[in-house]
Amino acid sequence: MRKSLHGIFLSCLKASQLVEKQQVFGLSTSEAIQLKAHLLMCKGCDEYKSQSLFISKGIRNKIKKGDLNIQISLEELTMVQAKILAQFS
Amino acid sequence: MQKVSKLENSIDVPRQQLITNLVNNYSKEMLQWARNRVPRKEIAEDLVQDTFVVAFQKIDTFQERSQVKTWLFSILKNKIADYFRASFKMETKPLTDNVFFDNSDIWKNGELPRSWEIGDETQLLDNLDFKAALEDCQDKLPSTWNHAMVLKYFSDKDANEICKEMGITTSNYWQLIHRAKLQLRKCLDTNWFKK
Repeated sequence: MRKSLHGIFLSCLKASQLVEKQQVFGLSTSEAIQLKAHLLMCKGCDEYKSQSLFISKGIRNKIKKGDLNIQISLEELTMVQAKILAQFS
Repeated sequence: MQKVSKLENSIDVPRQQLITNLVNNYSKEMLQWARNRVPRKEIAEDLVQDTFVVAFQKIDTFQERSQVKTWLFSILKNKIADYFRASFKMETKPLTDNVFFDNSDIWKNGELPRSWEIGDETQLLDNLDFKAALEDCQDKLPSTWNHAMVLKYFSDKDANEICKEMGITTSNYWQLIHRAKLQLRKCLDTNWFKK
């Protein structure tokens, strides 16, 4: 984004911050409009947004899928249990 | 599913035996549960261990009426919250953005995000090598940043509640996520997409 536009529009720093804020808390109407305007003109930030969303999905996917297949092996469990019980003997 | 037992006659059974029973009956489930709520397996193990230490200390004050499992899990929940809270307290250094942005807050040369060849998104997200690369990049982040980013996926609470629980402001929270994302994006860009 060109420097001359910065009086009216968001900076790239601010725009990329709003991309994150939007995902967690949502944006006010004016913030949403400002961000949209910036993304229309700034290819880098627009790309940042899609990559950020992709990374969020990746992290969620890693955690939620892990939910189903965390299998604690008997070996591992026995070790942890022994470690815990050692505290009390 | 095993029926939840109660700590009956807890006064008559020696403490040692009691805690052994608790560990044998509940540690597996607690470990699985904790593993889904903290970033690392070692941390989950430590927190489960800490939970039993507290349980051992407080066993006399335990209300026989309440269920053992509920009691243990409530201690574990507190331990997990304490763990995250402590890491947010450690973040004291001021955050600067001059790595990625110039003095006018525009992307620096070479830091401007360029398109990734993602292809089939679902396939990539499930790709084990990609998952490992993502994990690797997360490990390189300061733990506070990573925690801010993962907390909402580990917790059942909404972001406002998480902030309250962690004692941080909402703007501090998304700013930490922003830092984490910038770094993580760059790391993936270098280690995966440009490889």
